[in-house]
Amino acid sequence: MSVFMDLNVSFSAERSRMTKLIEAAAHLGFSTVAINYVFEPMAKKKLEIPMPTPVKELIDQLPVVQGRSRPIRVLNRLTVVMSDSSHFRPNATEYRGFDLLAVQPTTEKLFHAACMLYDVDIICISVTEKLPFFFKRAPVNGAMDRGVVFEVSYSAAIRDSTRRRYTIANAVSLMESCKGKNVILSSAAEKPLELRGPYDITNLGLLFGLSEGDAKEAVSSTCRSVVLHAESRKSASGIIYTMKTCSESSSQQEALAADLGEAPAAKRAKPHLTQ
Amino acid sequence: MRRADAEDEPAVFRRVVLKNASPYHYMKVRLALEDESTRLSAVELKQFIVTGLSSLYGEVGAALTFDLLKYDEDTLTALLRVYSKGLVKLWSSLTLLGSYQNQDCAFRVLQVSPFLLALTGNSRELQLD
Repeated sequence: MSVFMDLNVSFSAERSRMTKLIEAAAHLGFSTVAINYVFEPMAKKKLEIPMPTPVKELIDQLPVVQGRSRPIRVLNRLTVVMSDSSHFRPNATEYRGFDLLAVQPTTEKLFHAACMLYDVDIICISVTEKLPFFFKRAPVNGAMDRGVVFEVSYSAAIRDSTRRRYTIANAVSLMESCKGKNVILSSAAEKPLELRGPYDITNLGLLFGLSEGDAKEAVSSTCRSVVLHAESRKSASGIIYTMKTCSESSSQQEALAADLGEAPAAKRAKPHLTQ
Repeated sequence: MRRADAEDEPAVFRRVVLKNASPYHYMKVRLALEDESTRLSAVELKQFIVTGLSSLYGEVGAALTFDLLKYDEDTLTALLRVYSKGLVKLWSSLTLLGSYQNQDCAFRVLQVSPFLLALTGNSRELQLD
């Protein structure tokens, strides 16, 4: 059985809050969490893409995952909210600091482009408004073939009853077109009390129209495939290299820092795809 | 049965396979509140769960029969019994309950089982070291 992951925990600058969130996730049994940085480009202002804060600065010691006696793994993730095609720049160097890359398209055209062309890992489904478009079969199937997954986050459904309606409606309409495959369920939690245990989320998946098996996959094995997809995304034709160092510093963050430096085979833009 | 018969017949082997033997599911839940000093009585807890059911499933959901078998006010831990048919409804309404009297809360579902005996031990909290 694959381990449980929660690939969306909202970032906040407050250190104590992040510590509590990560501890709560570990206590509930999540083996991996991803801290989500939302980047929403505006038409007028020019905003900087956020830089991920090193995990060491957010939490002193990584808590042990319940039932696994192993520390939790913390990833960084960037979500780009797109309302225009210029908002997502493929091959931007700022994106390379993040482990996972997600987009949230707001129009049908951008949704199509995100599914078929963009080099991302996750496509977020909006849960705060009624969907302005239908999920068409062609882009959804295209995304499934490329290994891109769709994400439904549930914490808006806990906070507010109208958003609960939108969450369920959008999730059900997504599940109808993708038949329960390539979907992940994540929290988007800002507070520890907005997190729910992995089995609770599995049960919630049944409410969203997933089958029992698919619902469990949505918190475990699909998440794993997203992380693997993200690892192979940065390199050319899926080649992954690691460097073994003999220093005593923690392995995970070092590997990430080394990756930022001089990667040998970076993926080139495919001109016929990115246009 | 006469004693003579009992001696004639050897010990009988009987194999019974029951499918879905238990009509109920039992849930062990703990209510986590933002302000940890808040205390609920058993009646208030059940009322709170019913409110959650009706906000997610309406009047039909509020009519779902479930029982609060055991409740510990100090730890806010409760043992619920529900018909297996209503398990998904009850569980999802517990999951989506987010606030109690304007403070944040969360139901932590500790264990779910069709057999009450299974709730005596918890494999999730075993010490693995």
